[in-house]
Amino acid sequence: MISTETRPAPTSTARWHVAVLVGGFALLAAVAVVSIGIGAQAVPPMDVLRALVAPDGSANQLIVLEVRAPRALLAIGVGAALGVAGVLIQTLSRNALAEPGILGVSTGAGFAMTIGAALGGVASPAAELLVATLGAAGATLLVYAVGRTAPLRLVLTGVALSAVLSGISLGLRLMSPDVFDKYRFWSVGSLAGREQAPLLVPMLAIGLALVGALLLSRSLNAAALGEAVARTLGANIARVRLATLVLITVLAGAATAVAGPILFVGLIVPHVARRLARGSVPWLTGYALVLGPLLMLLADIGSRVLLPTGEVPVAIVTGFLGGPMLIWAVRKYGAGSL
Amino acid sequence: MFTRRSARFGGALLLAIAVAATGCGTSESQDTEGETRVFAADNGEITIPADPQRVVATGYAVPALIEADAPLVGISTWKRGLPMMTKQDRARYDELEKVAGEQATETNYEAIAGADPDLIVIGVPQPVLGDIDVERLESIAPVVAIGPTVPSAWRENTKKQADAAGALAKFDETKSEYEGKAEELAGKYEDVLPDLKLAHVGSYGEVDSGNFQREFNDSWGTNVANDIGANYYGEVKEKGGGSQDVSEYPSIEELPSAFAEADAITYSVEADGTPPPAVQYVLDSELWKDLPAVKADKAFPIPLTEAATYRQAMQALDALDESLAPLLEK
Repeated sequence: MISTETRPAPTSTARWHVAVLVGGFALLAAVAVVSIGIGAQAVPPMDVLRALVAPDGSANQLIVLEVRAPRALLAIGVGAALGVAGVLIQTLSRNALAEPGILGVSTGAGFAMTIGAALGGVASPAAELLVATLGAAGATLLVYAVGRTAPLRLVLTGVALSAVLSGISLGLRLMSPDVFDKYRFWSVGSLAGREQAPLLVPMLAIGLALVGALLLSRSLNAAALGEAVARTLGANIARVRLATLVLITVLAGAATAVAGPILFVGLIVPHVARRLARGSVPWLTGYALVLGPLLMLLADIGSRVLLPTGEVPVAIVTGFLGGPMLIWAVRKYGAGSL
Repeated sequence: MFTRRSARFGGALLLAIAVAATGCGTSESQDTEGETRVFAADNGEITIPADPQRVVATGYAVPALIEADAPLVGISTWKRGLPMMTKQDRARYDELEKVAGEQATETNYEAIAGADPDLIVIGVPQPVLGDIDVERLESIAPVVAIGPTVPSAWRENTKKQADAAGALAKFDETKSEYEGKAEELAGKYEDVLPDLKLAHVGSYGEVDSGNFQREFNDSWGTNVANDIGANYYGEVKEKGGGSQDVSEYPSIEELPSAFAEADAITYSVEADGTPPPAVQYVLDSELWKDLPAVKADKAFPIPLTEAATYRQAMQALDALDESLAPLLEK
């Protein structure tokens, strides 16, 4: 069960959190630079640094600025979105096994992509983004409309809708090889080849939603104590729940739209962050903000260097990393820590 | 009430009807029996009619045998080849019964049996052959599998397909026409093409996100151009058999190093001139715009790169001539 203990943070505890977070951001910056330095084409480290501080337009610097830097930024955005969305859904549902996709976000996006491919409407990266976003939002709206009265009902509705949409999508893909072809590239989440997609709007949406999550985190502290206690503390549970769902939809929907379905990040990041946050949802959100991008950048580096034959999609690497990490967390801290 | 005897009788009746319906009855096979010969195909040494009269074709064999005026009675659909069919060939394609879909898995065995062929020519790559129940087809008629290997091998494959179907006369006529045209264009471009180091961006196969397809000599986008003297320099890093011997899928990061030496670059486009998504991704990249050949305005779109018969290749020659014409002006 999720720890819901809240206590006033002494100044020393706050300082400790700040120090850890600053260290985390420094580590994140270092890993981002490493990520920009690694790729299929060997680029000397000095060229990488020159590209970042004084670009002169050489081919190597174009690779750094036009391909790798946008990809690293995308990894940071997607990692933060999925990590924080994971914190929100686990706190809201008080379910340690909940992850953003449980509300039907990924399945909704995938369903929309399948329909879009069948109708010939996903011919460009911009169209893919739009279709996936609409699907994610539509599925979450439906889940909310049916299950808004209780967190458990929400989760169950999400699982049920996901099953239905998956079934229909699978049927359509099996009937049409062309649709299957288009879908399979999208269905394995990847950060490769996204640098030309119109990422500004989804990244802005993620940024705003992350700010919203930080602002909402104090109210979620009360919600995490349970509905009755939260009401006693004066929290407007219905409003908090609605705001949280909107944020989860925006974060997970935008991340899925730009990178495809990426599992485990939204599940594992809250567990690792929880060890550091010591029961505080605001700090938990802050740590997820660092750990999500860190995990995603490491996975993305892994996706480029693991195989000598070429790149593997990042979603496969997060699966490889996420599974053992979850088992490690359970073995080290016990299932109770979840 | 059914008895065991009546059930046995019913079963025998059903079997007889099924055998008659699939054309496998003894009397029919006697009708179509004649001279035979042994034919070397991908699936082994096959005994086929020396002069087949009712041929079913699938996959790459469809356009080849339509062009060769083979005695077809059924074909698979072949949508990818429609833009390159002449009006006459298209009319023939439309009127022929479709006994299979675009994919090997969409083979309609009952429809093939219903067409009552004396020869079945399967034109799919060897790995895809596993998706077809060849034994079941062999129970209908002799089956020869002649599928593509390297992209440029369509020349030999179409000849074998036409030979199996007893339609070599028309095939040879079209082949001569193509060779004459290619020779003419080779002469037209002899002062420019052979001296150029060319590179090609393709769109065939599975181009993953963040990658591009580079094609060398004898690949889809290059093999017809090779016939007029074009030379696509370099070779794949590691040969993987079939088309992987002549094309590879590097990361977009490798675009500058891959094409640094290219004097001119060609790239595949659809029949209407639209670049496919995998090619458009490369064209939109800043790395592409920075390539010496692109800066020198020597990047040329090439349509009809999927030509896989001599008549289609003649259209590809016309398209090449149109695309490469600026080379003669500079």
